[in-house]
Amino acid sequence: MNRAVNLRLYDYELDENGYKVRLALGALGLACETVAVDMVPGAEQTRSPLIDLNPLGTLPILVDGATVLREAEAILAYLARRYDPAGTWLPQEPAAFGETLMWLAFATRELHAASLARRAALFDHPGDGPDLERRARAAFRIMEDHIVLRGVSGADWFAGTGPTIADLALFPAFALSRDFGIDHEAYPGLRRWSRRVRGLPGFCTMPGIPDYH
Amino acid sequence: MDEPDGWYAVALGADIEPSTSAGTRLFGHELVVWRDAAGAVHVWEDRCPHRGMRLSFGFVRGDHIACLYHGWRYDAAGQCRFIPAHPDLDVSPMIRTRTYPCRERAGLIWVRWGAPADAPETAPDAAEAVPVSPLRSLYLDAPAARLAVALGGAGSDGLTRIDLDGSSVLVAVQPLAAEASAAHIVVPVPPDAPAADLARLAAACVALRRSIEGAVP
Repeated sequence: MNRAVNLRLYDYELDENGYKVRLALGALGLACETVAVDMVPGAEQTRSPLIDLNPLGTLPILVDGATVLREAEAILAYLARRYDPAGTWLPQEPAAFGETLMWLAFATRELHAASLARRAALFDHPGDGPDLERRARAAFRIMEDHIVLRGVSGADWFAGTGPTIADLALFPAFALSRDFGIDHEAYPGLRRWSRRVRGLPGFCTMPGIPDYH
Repeated sequence: MDEPDGWYAVALGADIEPSTSAGTRLFGHELVVWRDAAGAVHVWEDRCPHRGMRLSFGFVRGDHIACLYHGWRYDAAGQCRFIPAHPDLDVSPMIRTRTYPCRERAGLIWVRWGAPADAPETAPDAAEAVPVSPLRSLYLDAPAARLAVALGGAGSDGLTRIDLDGSSVLVAVQPLAAEASAAHIVVPVPPDAPAADLARLAAACVALRRSIEGAVP
């Protein structure tokens, strides 16, 4: 049952960054009012009134009372700290905390190439397709090596001992990779990990991620 | 590319969990590798005869795999048994996918490539039932021939024993396409091998890939 809190999310259904936040809301069992933004083709987030909430003109934006946040990874960290009293999604233990932040940075930086590749493929955004695909593959390979190494050591998740917001931030780029022509053939470890993510309580899909489990 | 007949490993058995499917390639041909709910593995052409969708995108239910597009459901013999849009239809025996003989040996899933339809389905010769721990599948941006040379000149059929960071491991080479290959690596020890050893060897795999791809700085 979703907890009633006063959250509002400005979101675009096809945006993988908004999807990260939806995954976190589901995992934490939080109800949220969603405001659908015409990001493509309208670019509504770049005009008033949304530009007044977020001067970067990006999505998603989360409003919780007086708190206004942009950047999916920051929103994930906020939601975990604010609404996960057990502290498992953003671990307290220093090493697990550091690992979680390390992979959050990876999700915003290395996986940005995957995000741009997907926008180029789906929305005709400008971008060097082959170069973006090469960089996305390089990022997925680093994720595959890590999760395989974790697996032979008996760990199932990217950081710490259980699922964290790092897993939620990393999942969309991989799960949506076929949108921009990268198959899952070369990533058996990530295939098995994404199946575990799909099995998390409160998991939700989005267009491009089939709902069959 | 040349496509020698033989048995080829296409996955670690542990990487294809019950009721899941995965797409792969052999000599550029797209294959779906899937395991039914009872644990049996299947290797087919990765193509739904209806609209050509890859079956590896679909989902496994019991001993059937269903296409993601329109839910056409195929039994373990590759025969279409159910079409959701025509639930009362007795599906024609013509609607079937191409299947390949496959086996699980030495922790690997093998497919028989190039066998005539009436050939006896013998097991892969080199892959006797040795107790192994699965290590990992390593996907390389390099032709299978270069991988085979790096492993000590072994052929691309069966298992090759190599030294990896001081330990003996078994490698099966999968030619994916002209410029891509996979090395499926298992450790010939009982499944209760120390995790620390496996972690060391999994890390050594990354160095092996780097040296084969020629990316050593």
